[in-house]
Amino acid sequence: QFTPSSLLRTGQLSNVDLNEDVRELETELPRPYPNEIPHNEKLLSLKYESLDYDNSENQLFLEEERRINHAAFRTVEIKRWVICAMIGILTGLVACFIDIVVENLAGLKYRVVKDNIDKFTEKGGLSFSLLLWATLNASVVMVGSVIVAFIEPVAAGSGIPQIKCYLNGVKIPHVVRLKTLVIKVCGVILSVVGGLAVGKEGPMIHSGAVIAAGISQGRSTSLKRDFKIFEYFRRDTEKRDFVSAGAAAGVSAAFGAPVGGVLFSLEEGASFWNQFLTWRIFFASMISTFTLNSVLSVYHGNAWDLSSPGLINFGRFDNEKMGYTIQEIPIFIFMGVVGGILGALFNALNYWLTMFRIRYIHRPCLQVIEAMLVAAVTAAVGFVMIYCSRDCQPIQGSTVAYPLQLFCADGEYNSMATAFFNTPEKSVVNLFHDPPGSYNPMTLGMFTLMYFFLACWTYGLTVSAGVFIPSLLIGAAWGRLFGISLSYLTKGSIWADPGKYALMGAAAQLGGIVRMTLSLTVIMMEATGNVTYGFPIMLVLMTAKIVGDYFVEGLYDMHIQLQSVPFLHWEAPVTSHSLTAREVMSTPVTCLRRIERVGTVVDILSDTSSNHNGFPVVESNPNSTQVAGLRGLILRSQLIVLLKHKVFVERANLSLVQRRLKLKDFRDAYPRFPPIQSIHVSQDERECMIDLSEFMNPSPYTVPQEASLPRVFKLFRALGLRHLVVVDNRNEVVGMVTRKDLARYRLGKEGLEELSLAQT
Amino acid sequence: LLLLLLLLIILILLPGPAVGLQGLGEGAEMAAGLPELELPELPELEPPELEPECRRLLGAFAEGSAALSGCLARRARPVRLCQACRGHYSTLLGLYRDIALGNSSESHNCAKSILTSDRLQVVVTLSEFFNETWEAANCANCLKNNSEGLSNSTVEFLDLFNKSLTCFEHNLQGQAINESPNNYTEVCKNCNGTYKMLNDLYNNLQKLNRHGSESGHSAHLCIDVEDAMNITRKLWSRTFNCSVPCSDTVPVIAVSSFILFLPVVFYLSSFLHSKQKKRILILPKRIQSNASLVNIQEKYS
Repeated sequence: QFTPSSLLRTGQLSNVDLNEDVRELETELPRPYPNEIPHNEKLLSLKYESLDYDNSENQLFLEEERRINHAAFRTVEIKRWVICAMIGILTGLVACFIDIVVENLAGLKYRVVKDNIDKFTEKGGLSFSLLLWATLNASVVMVGSVIVAFIEPVAAGSGIPQIKCYLNGVKIPHVVRLKTLVIKVCGVILSVVGGLAVGKEGPMIHSGAVIAAGISQGRSTSLKRDFKIFEYFRRDTEKRDFVSAGAAAGVSAAFGAPVGGVLFSLEEGASFWNQFLTWRIFFASMISTFTLNSVLSVYHGNAWDLSSPGLINFGRFDNEKMGYTIQEIPIFIFMGVVGGILGALFNALNYWLTMFRIRYIHRPCLQVIEAMLVAAVTAAVGFVMIYCSRDCQPIQGSTVAYPLQLFCADGEYNSMATAFFNTPEKSVVNLFHDPPGSYNPMTLGMFTLMYFFLACWTYGLTVSAGVFIPSLLIGAAWGRLFGISLSYLTKGSIWADPGKYALMGAAAQLGGIVRMTLSLTVIMMEATGNVTYGFPIMLVLMTAKIVGDYFVEGLYDMHIQLQSVPFLHWEAPVTSHSLTAREVMSTPVTCLRRIERVGTVVDILSDTSSNHNGFPVVESNPNSTQVAGLRGLILRSQLIVLLKHKVFVERANLSLVQRRLKLKDFRDAYPRFPPIQSIHVSQDERECMIDLSEFMNPSPYTVPQEASLPRVFKLFRALGLRHLVVVDNRNEVVGMVTRKDLARYRLGKEGLEELSLAQT
Repeated sequence: LLLLLLLLIILILLPGPAVGLQGLGEGAEMAAGLPELELPELPELEPPELEPECRRLLGAFAEGSAALSGCLARRARPVRLCQACRGHYSTLLGLYRDIALGNSSESHNCAKSILTSDRLQVVVTLSEFFNETWEAANCANCLKNNSEGLSNSTVEFLDLFNKSLTCFEHNLQGQAINESPNNYTEVCKNCNGTYKMLNDLYNNLQKLNRHGSESGHSAHLCIDVEDAMNITRKLWSRTFNCSVPCSDTVPVIAVSSFILFLPVVFYLSSFLHSKQKKRILILPKRIQSNASLVNIQEKYS
């Protein structure tokens, strides 16, 4: 085991004096941390790197940009639109695929279980039905969990936190790969069919993002196919824009809410935004909804009827009972408060559970077992609730998909079964639209209670599944309950229609859990197709967010924190003005000279303890040990490409038949640059020199040492930087600010907190 | 037929704007337009006396609708709409068609003068009401395709329904002799077969219907059949209390508590036996000036 000072020593390469200081300080101070600590939320993981949202403006780049004339730029612009259209179409198709497969498989499952229950109701032996249901659920979920846990763990969960991080500029490994998409789609189908308390809407956003990232590159590295198109877009900046479009298309396909999708991308995702991008993203969203509509209308046999938008369609709220009056506004606000409190409770419970999972259930087999157990318990709880319920409703005139009779009289069905014995999407719609009196309050109360804990327990399992629908379902259940009791209190006055309150409850609960505001309002408005509900929904979501934020933060932010992701918020922490760049930066910095020995480069890159990605390039001055003036910045990926192509000064002098390296060579290696270990450099070549001046970014952003943290933060965040060099007044490199240096300051409960770095 | 209807509507509507223009006409435009438009319109503007043919049609419609509405009301409980009133309905449908489309030239005028010459349009409203009721009852489902007579499956169902009703009656009479009004075991035992058959037939019909309509939404059978089944089921399980499902609470509780117990075991064992994941802290390379430490500490306190 390393002591901290030995770690430091291996990491140092120059500037001995400074390090002596540091070491002395270290030995004097009592060690504040143990070396190994259990996982907690105040950590930043080293495994996450930044994306290069700032173009490296080296000579090659400038040459290429100069070569492109006006007409060619127009072609690029057209290509962007074409890509957006393709993103929309493919996302819509994937949504259709998921929808149709889930509908059929879930239908099959419920029919089998229903037949079984019907059979055993007469003869006795219902425990077998319970076992059958639990086993079916568990085995389906097992498959879904195995593929996620063993093949692609990043496909777990809803994927929204991951996409949020990606758009923030954090490179989450594997997050936009084709393999992830496949696992995600299969996983979500299996977990919904497996009867877990999950929805398929959240994963659609991730799927859309993967599709976008894939298409915009015009190739698939996983399939080893390069279509030689869209090569211009092979860099992080361009890819990011398309990923935001993909996320928007995903939302739009999931909820039939194109505008909501764009706003979702704006609110949750894109940290960088401009007006042309908005219009393109909106285009992608619209195309996605349209594709979904067309395909589903053909599937449902009424071709070209485009009125079934979205995977979940909340149905129309347009009869006169669904209107609202001024008296109801305080009631809605109260519902928002309830939603905020319940959401905070949900998040707090989920926080503890997730912490436990990270600490103890980290082996894939354990994760699979856990998922299976949750599936079995979900079935068991559902069965027991249905078994104990005596709430029977006449079957005539109701639109129940799988009416379970059980102990009800002939011609009646068990009302608890409509809530539990169905896919969550259908249950939500039932709660919104079933006529008053379809559920008795006891049923709804028990359902809310049980489903709350089930959903909370389910989120964070190693299956790919979203939290939107379960939240909506919990909210719809208690909202309906609320509406019924209100109707009871006011002696059946006309405005207390339970469906309306179910909708408000659903909005409140979802807002309390995920804390989205603008986009969620618009999504709910579009999904219900009712603009007049905009105002109450906005009020409800606002209250839910305010109340919820008072207790804990939103579910997605919480999970980002628990994953130790160096996430940059919009602003630097408010009380951080006293910190300057000098205190924030990492130092000493490993610098490269402009004409550097190959051996040195290889050694620096291979050094595992200092896994740096950007290296300031300084004036080559071989006989001086001092740090010289800053000339530029070069990235690890660029160095690797240079080494791979052996662009050495000596070889150029020997005038070997070698073409000049072009930007294309860098693009071809993007985004999976080979590790340094795979590049073979012979002993002779180690003695060669490498000239970096053509490839480095000659105009990196720098800040003086005295700049305050908020100022550094603003520059870093607004430009999407990856490395920010700190220089002194002689333009000599003194330090480097990276994402992790900035992200570690966070406003905690007791003021400014500093997170520690950890290896995970 | 549709084309003809369209043509008719156009024909009816054509003079409409012209009449409107007369009312609206202002200034020069009116002066220009009026003389041409007015001349052919003149005979139409006379107070419309209903032609004898139309009067006859209207009378027939009145009688037909009276008969149908009487039939509907009489057959409302227990519901026998489709069986009893289908003759009346098809007659009325024919009459309405005669008025609307007609087979002679003069009935064009009838359509206009009866159906569309006032705001209330009573005849249209009435006919719409009957159509809607018929649709809601879904009577087409138990009639033959040309709506002449009940379909075979409906006839079969109704036979079985009558059989089970008579079975109930017989056994209840037997009961009365035994003088134990709350004990229906006899009925349950003897009519079980018929009831089961009826139930199965109904379920089959429903299944067929659902497959036929594809979308699965309009899966209603016609109201007669539905209501008959409803009555029987209510009698069977509410009044006679015949369907007593075996409730096996003990095994269900046992199995479910076993399943609920599993996660507890799982979490406890993974808590006790799984090695807790540790994170290795890495010290960042940075200047630890005293000033900044003080800063941080101040903020902590």
